[in-house]
Amino acid sequence: MNEYKFSDIEIGLGESFEVKIDASKMDKFLDISNDINPLHVDSNYAKKKGFPNRVVYGLLTSSFYSTLVGVYLPGKYCILQGIDIQFSKPVYIGDALKISGKVSYINEAYKQIEIKAFITNQNNEKVSKATIKTGVLDE
Amino acid sequence: MTREMLFDGVQDIFRDIFDEEDMVIEDKTRSDDVEEWDSLNHINLVSAIEKEFEIRFALEELMALKDVGSMIDLMVKKLK
Repeated sequence: MNEYKFSDIEIGLGESFEVKIDASKMDKFLDISNDINPLHVDSNYAKKKGFPNRVVYGLLTSSFYSTLVGVYLPGKYCILQGIDIQFSKPVYIGDALKISGKVSYINEAYKQIEIKAFITNQNNEKVSKATIKTGVLDE
Repeated sequence: MTREMLFDGVQDIFRDIFDEEDMVIEDKTRSDDVEEWDSLNHINLVSAIEKEFEIRFALEELMALKDVGSMIDLMVKKLK
């Protein structure tokens, strides 16, 4: 886990990591959220609606924005304060995602940073983007 | 930029942060007057103002503010 302190952070500082989406992640998210929408749980239904397979939950992939700030940028001293997400492409089981973020704004008075983040798939297509606001706790 | 223009810009930011299209603020408006003006929204307001007007506030300056009018006055001073 990274441990960036507020004084370490500057505009443009970036971090990224990769994750593979497998069926067990979908099962666990279903268990937590109880989102039984057939687009996520029924591949036949998803295919009938024009998708190649069932669609991964948008908020499952977005949970990696939590990981981005909580583990990588700033890491240990993060306190998530807000997130604005836009989805642009569906994600499927088996996709390999890369989650990236860069500091775009620093509020010196209140020790809050803003991170422009996005997720790409194995074809380098952007599947979502987010603006994340996080505080940075004192050591 | 005139004080009136700054005030209008700040009012737009309040409307955006508090999701109230018709929100009207005055010089004497304080955090106690707006139900959702909590500490997190206060940070959001300051961040939005800093970015929109390309200014930066010090914590001491922010702590001395008592209402919207004093915020606008501080902005006028910084943008001179």
